[in-house]
Amino acid sequence: MRTAQWTWLPAACLPVAVISIPAYAATYLTVEQAQQAIFPGEKLAPANITLTNEQAREIERRSDANVRRKDIKLWKVANGGYFIVDEVVGKHEFITYAVGLNADGTVKQIEILTYRESYGYEVRNADWRAQFVGKNAAAPLKLNKDIKNISGATLSCRHIADGVKRILATYEVALK
Amino acid sequence: MKSPSNEIRRARPLLGTLVEIGAVGENATAAIEAAFREIEIIHRLMSFHETDSDVSRLNRAPPATQLEVDPRTYEVLSWARRISILSHGTFDITVGGKLVAAGFLPKPEDAEWPSQEASFHDLSLLSDNRVLLNRPAWIDLGGIAKGYAVDRAAATLKRNGVDSGMVNAGGDLYVFGVPQPIHIRHPEDASRLFSLGILTDAAVASSSGCFTERRDDDGGVADPLIDPRRNTPMRWQQSITVVAPHCLVADALTKVVRLAPRRAAKILPQFGAQAIIIDRRGVRGIAPPARRRSCGTPPWLTRARMQEMI
Repeated sequence: MRTAQWTWLPAACLPVAVISIPAYAATYLTVEQAQQAIFPGEKLAPANITLTNEQAREIERRSDANVRRKDIKLWKVANGGYFIVDEVVGKHEFITYAVGLNADGTVKQIEILTYRESYGYEVRNADWRAQFVGKNAAAPLKLNKDIKNISGATLSCRHIADGVKRILATYEVALK
Repeated sequence: MKSPSNEIRRARPLLGTLVEIGAVGENATAAIEAAFREIEIIHRLMSFHETDSDVSRLNRAPPATQLEVDPRTYEVLSWARRISILSHGTFDITVGGKLVAAGFLPKPEDAEWPSQEASFHDLSLLSDNRVLLNRPAWIDLGGIAKGYAVDRAAATLKRNGVDSGMVNAGGDLYVFGVPQPIHIRHPEDASRLFSLGILTDAAVASSSGCFTERRDDDGGVADPLIDPRRNTPMRWQQSITVVAPHCLVADALTKVVRLAPRRAAKILPQFGAQAIIIDRRGVRGIAPPARRRSCGTPPWLTRARMQEMI
């Protein structure tokens, strides 16, 4: 072709640069770092709650999202706001994130704490997910440490959007 | 090469995806915060869904009504127009109506259904950030605004004293400063990655049906890219990656490469861009033509590197 260089290679000649990663992980913030990021300089007091079956049903009704766990990791902020750590599980991804709520129950800020994806069975496996609890940037996993910038990962944040809807319903039902 | 160890990375759900921002430097945390805020503004201005965005105001406005938009919206509309003209309408932001009809976007409330003949020609860019639509059309900036948001976020980092960083909005990314390794996903197997090399001052955007696909009634795969010439959602199983000096350009040109690869080969060099196509048959590259190398093969992806990849 005159105007451009086009090259075709059959699949057998794929570049040596192809690598296979059965799992990918990124850590951004610890719970403490996220608290400081969302509520800088504020005092937060742990205030975990456990939802009753009735509350869980009401939250599901209001948010149209499943309540997978009734134990809510919650902190109360001195100014009246709330800090909640939650997790969502997609087909291939497992994401822990923190939501800061203002005193009036509106979202102040959302921060991703950890992001894991896997193309095996692991994401649905609670033991696999448990190993990431408490991990942070200061203690990074060895896994694929150099693979950080991936293009073509059109990941939907629908699961997080659903999770935040569920948290807002939790506020209405159990915290307000 | 690794990213610098003192790099700070944060991620937030924005633009309908996960946006990750990394920066090195004393002011990194504040700079990242400012960059996220800029992306939130772009999102608010250019969202099809939010009723008070510039895009929704424009889509609701009666035909031939002048509207003043944010300078950023105006800039994106200007770029979109330029790419539409060069691609002979292959890239066209007035596909909103077709995306709604195909079920990819919700129908805007209070907006008149667009004219079937509407095209980018119907959008006039006037002075002082004023624009007008000559006939009812629904504009969707989904194919370009994400890239622009990445560019703006990177510029915000730089303005805040960061000299090495990266912004990755669900696969549309920009890196600057210390060169960083970039990978592309295989369109059919997300666990397989291609190494694109170690780049800096470069944007990479990928468009791949595999992760956003929706099954058609007849079993085909459709995705939210409309072919304006056929007015139907595209079906495919390949990934298109464009490397360019700006993410807006990279983002928009992935659509042109996909819909009109031959024309794209002429358009890419005008933006200093290159493309990599991956499908089950293998890997193809579109690079600037050899005889124009004196104009400068962009340094971020050398011809030798392209040869090595393909």
